[in-house]
Amino acid sequence: MADHSVKPNTNSKLSFTSQNHNVTKREKEKKKDKKCEFEFCKVCKLNHNQGPRHKYFPNHKTALSSFLCRFQNKINDVRFFLRNPNVLRPEHADRNRFCCVFCDTDVDELDSSFACENAINHLAGGHHLKNLKHFLWQYGGKMDQLDKYRISETDLTKWEKKCESLKVEAMVAPTEGSGLKYGASNDIHYNVNIEKINNLGQNTLNSVKPSYSNVVLPLQYNTNEYQISNSRFPEVSHFGSNFHEANFSNTSLLNSNDLKANSSGQQNLLYNGICSGNAYLSDVGGCQVYQNASMVSRESSSQGLQSLTQVSSISTIDAGGNVHSGALPPWLEAADQTLLNNQVKPALSSFISSNKSQKSRKLNPKRVGAAWAEKRKMELEKEKRGEIVESDCDDNWLPNFGRVWQSGSRKESRKEFDIEKHKFLKVESHSEMPVKIQPYISKRMFHNEKLRGKRRVAHGLTVISPQDI
Amino acid sequence: MSYLLPTLTRKKEVDTIIRDTIDKVLVLRFGRADDAVCLQLDDILAKTAREVSKFATVALVDVDSEDVQVYVKYFDITLIPSTIFFFNAHHMKMDS
Repeated sequence: MADHSVKPNTNSKLSFTSQNHNVTKREKEKKKDKKCEFEFCKVCKLNHNQGPRHKYFPNHKTALSSFLCRFQNKINDVRFFLRNPNVLRPEHADRNRFCCVFCDTDVDELDSSFACENAINHLAGGHHLKNLKHFLWQYGGKMDQLDKYRISETDLTKWEKKCESLKVEAMVAPTEGSGLKYGASNDIHYNVNIEKINNLGQNTLNSVKPSYSNVVLPLQYNTNEYQISNSRFPEVSHFGSNFHEANFSNTSLLNSNDLKANSSGQQNLLYNGICSGNAYLSDVGGCQVYQNASMVSRESSSQGLQSLTQVSSISTIDAGGNVHSGALPPWLEAADQTLLNNQVKPALSSFISSNKSQKSRKLNPKRVGAAWAEKRKMELEKEKRGEIVESDCDDNWLPNFGRVWQSGSRKESRKEFDIEKHKFLKVESHSEMPVKIQPYISKRMFHNEKLRGKRRVAHGLTVISPQDI
Repeated sequence: MSYLLPTLTRKKEVDTIIRDTIDKVLVLRFGRADDAVCLQLDDILAKTAREVSKFATVALVDVDSEDVQVYVKYFDITLIPSTIFFFNAHHMKMDS
């Protein structure tokens, strides 16, 4: 810029500087005239011809920060799996697609055995780092934040170690590790999800042979109850015909029945051995049962042919709702009245009460009608058990108060109602006598009529009392 | 829509449903099945009954039934449809 506060004697300087000024101005105009090629900014998602200046504009800066924020969230999700490796199940694989914005690629997980495995490997790779650096240079991101958008080698090695250990665990207890990891509740009394067990069964059918030696399985029910129900095994074995397909019931009583029904003698002993050792077969046994079921049905349907499993699947699996869709198992519908009522009731009721007590623990004790609710629950339980409950629900029972009221307490409106009710009842009781419209007759007149009436009776005529008019 | 939701015509039924709905909100619609506004409300109730089923039960009460008149008087029902809310057999006041 020219300095116009120049001393007048330096004319030459002035002229020079003014010339200079003109030159720079022209240069600037040239620059302005010289339009940059249009390029697309990924961050702002628009085409601009501002060239390399674009990345310093405030709009771009805000867009960049939100863009990086969004990607950061995605990376945090992946980092979660970096810290806690999980086995990836095939049906979830196509849900986990990671889209890397720096490399402009999609990373999918179709062939990975662990959740986000491919994404983690990508983020740790050198190619990604190069693209990341280029991106930040081009769009003006801070270069010191590189590590936020990639996974370091140390993290990667840690994760790989964890994966290895998971694999090893999976070899030992094929279903246990993954089954427990997938949302099994900490409370061992709660039912394990049927669908999950089935999927695990499918996963392990082909790959790993379950070994029963070191299996530590969650308790399905209290030991006492098992001992009670154990003695009733022979009675229930006739249900075996219903348990042809892979059936994972909620009570382990049924579970052990499955095993009894479907397994051969040798395996039966094995199961009994395990059961008596207090490690009740849940997942593993289920898997084995599934295998047995398909084998058994194969034998029954296609005698001697061992290759056709499909026939058995068609015959055993119901087309309407099957175990994969989480439909209610048919034996539970049929058996639930007979079996559960007869045998499992002690166990079930304890489940129910434990469930309910869990619920009530969560419910606000100060909620409206809490006392009434507890009392009523006890009554209902008693009724379920078949005891006669003295019910205070008479014909005139009404819920706590009633009407619309603007001020005062609830009870006032109830009192109003009671008063009105009494009035209504009084009116009703009066009107039970034949209602006839009568002229007003004063007591004196009535009394006189009575006297007259008495005299008339004496003469044999009927009395027409004022009331009959 | 009233065939999608339980319709109650007797006082005993209403009593039972009030007493047996524990720790869940009970919504009773007092009205007639042939009234236009009632039908509109019934439609909405039927559609949402499933969504709220974890914490609420919805039922309809026929206001023309003789047995139910005591409730009509009790709740001072003069316009239909009228929705009454209960929780643990306590009538809930709705502030507007």
